Amino acid sequence: MKIDNRSGRLVRRWLDRLYLLCGAFAACCLVAILTIVTMQMIARWTGEILPGTSDYAGYFMASSTFFAFAYALNNGSHIRVNMLLNALGSNRRWGELWCFAIGSVLSILWAYYTIKTVYWSYRLGDISQGLDATPIWIPQVAMAAGSVVFAISLIDNLVRVVLFGTHSAQPRGIDGE
Amino acid sequence: MEHIYLVMIFLFVLFLLLGTGVWVGLALFGVAFLGLELFTTRPAGDAMITTIWTTSSSWTLTALPLFIWMGEILFRTRLSEDMFKGISPWMSPLPGGLVHTNIVGCTVFAAVSGSSAATLTTVGKMSIPELRSRGYPEYMIVGTLTGAATLGLMIPPSLTLIVYGVTINESITKLFIAGILPGLVLAAMFMAYVALWSFVRRSEVPDIGKGTPILDKIRNSRFLIPVLLLIAVVIGSMYLGYATATEAAAFGVIGSLVLAAGQGSLNRRTFIDSLLGATRTSAMIALILGGAAALSLSMGFTGLPKALAEWIDQLGLSPFSLLLALMIFYIILGCFLDGISSVVLTMAIVETMIRQAGIDVIWFGIFIVVVVEMAQITPPIGFNLFVMQGMTGHEMGYIAKTAIPMFAIMVLMVFILIFFPELATYLPENIRSR
Repeated sequence: MKIDNRSGRLVRRWLDRLYLLCGAFAACCLVAILTIVTMQMIARWTGEILPGTSDYAGYFMASSTFFAFAYALNNGSHIRVNMLLNALGSNRRWGELWCFAIGSVLSILWAYYTIKTVYWSYRLGDISQGLDATPIWIPQVAMAAGSVVFAISLIDNLVRVVLFGTHSAQPRGIDGE
Repeated sequence: MEHIYLVMIFLFVLFLLLGTGVWVGLALFGVAFLGLELFTTRPAGDAMITTIWTTSSSWTLTALPLFIWMGEILFRTRLSEDMFKGISPWMSPLPGGLVHTNIVGCTVFAAVSGSSAATLTTVGKMSIPELRSRGYPEYMIVGTLTGAATLGLMIPPSLTLIVYGVTINESITKLFIAGILPGLVLAAMFMAYVALWSFVRRSEVPDIGKGTPILDKIRNSRFLIPVLLLIAVVIGSMYLGYATATEAAAFGVIGSLVLAAGQGSLNRRTFIDSLLGATRTSAMIALILGGAAALSLSMGFTGLPKALAEWIDQLGLSPFSLLLALMIFYIILGCFLDGISSVVLTMAIVETMIRQAGIDVIWFGIFIVVVVEMAQITPPIGFNLFVMQGMTGHEMGYIAKTAIPMFAIMVLMVFILIFFPELATYLPENIRSR
């Protein structure tokens, strides 16, 4: 048990770092969107045209979104209907177990199909339909990677509910109880 | 609808997943997957991911995180103190006195933030203690604030309207501009209610002495003026066609960073906090949007939207009774679901219905926002009630009760919108294009 505990803590630390890192990357993507949009505006005022910038902003939007999924989950930001869970009272653990189990299955499906989509975009050499003409698999990799981390975080929480009855997807701040 | 049983299974699973507390976005994704498996022979997962990718990488959606970020930055400044100091001197001569600060404060903050929780917190932080110390009755303080904070959803920038626009592929700019007049009318009605209260219950209005001289008023609001300018630039640039919604949002972020820096409240900590806050909130909304995109793809195959639209067509319902029915439906739904989720969840079905009945979709966006606003203040799941509970420590039932007049005013607003649709359609039809 002792050894398990130590390696458990190690895994815990690395997983939490992973989520935070993904959150930080997502935040950087947000700054990138701001930069791109601002550049585009300045370019237009000075009479220049930057082709494909709106497509790039879209890619950063998607990257930011998918990378932040796990981070948002562990901060309790994702919305859910709490009524039944609250009504369960001390049996809430079973409700959480159900939610994380379903959540894990769905996020694994989600991650599986994103990887498949990226793979086929790559194999078929799909090119973006916008002016940017980017091979579409490049921005899509972010979607797949983020989805995988999201699935990992749900499984991680599921395991914790099973073993210790706790998880870290509790809402914080104003809507916390 | 030949496969009625399949449709029933489909809907049952939808409510089962949502009701048991599975995260809304994932629940929608799961139901969509089931639907595609039940109703088509298409490979479900691949089609869904393609749709999700298209939605989540769209240029229109980039306005969302930027507007959230703008609100988050201003939320972390000293704006809330300045707002009370700046607005209250102007309000004290009005009948009902400083209670108006709640409403005007909410209107102003709503114009820089798209969320009603942030609006409530920012305005309430200062106004609740100040109003209490001057002896205003508690139920007026709590009720007006809870109600007026819902303006955050209507007055641009509005997260609900961005989500609505992305879901049905309509211009965000048009929707934003459409929200301006109804938002102001609603705010004016809240203020009229406060004035009315001050006449009917004269004894409850405390005497707050005579007003401040005009020069002091201006001096006190000097911090507010930059914020008002920022609002004017952000909304004006959209209306005059100088900027798209996303560009206006980028401008708003830069403007609020400058404002926060000028005020001395911008440092590493607040910058990172605002950025991470915006990242989380937009990820939360994007997960719901992704799930909803998949769901609406799947919903199309169930034949449910078309069947419902045809059924309503056969009933020969007038648009008026259709809208009333929808209003009641959304109020009930809003008791259990938050605003954004109920918009995306239902648009998969309602869009066909609305378009078939010949209802203007921009107008309907404003309608749906008013109705969803009501859901924010109805128990058991009114979001504003939770926030208010956290701030004042009152029981939820008490807060909901104080907000009943506000709820009634919003119902009235729905009828005003139905009878005077120009309120929402005039401005967007006259947007300049460049």
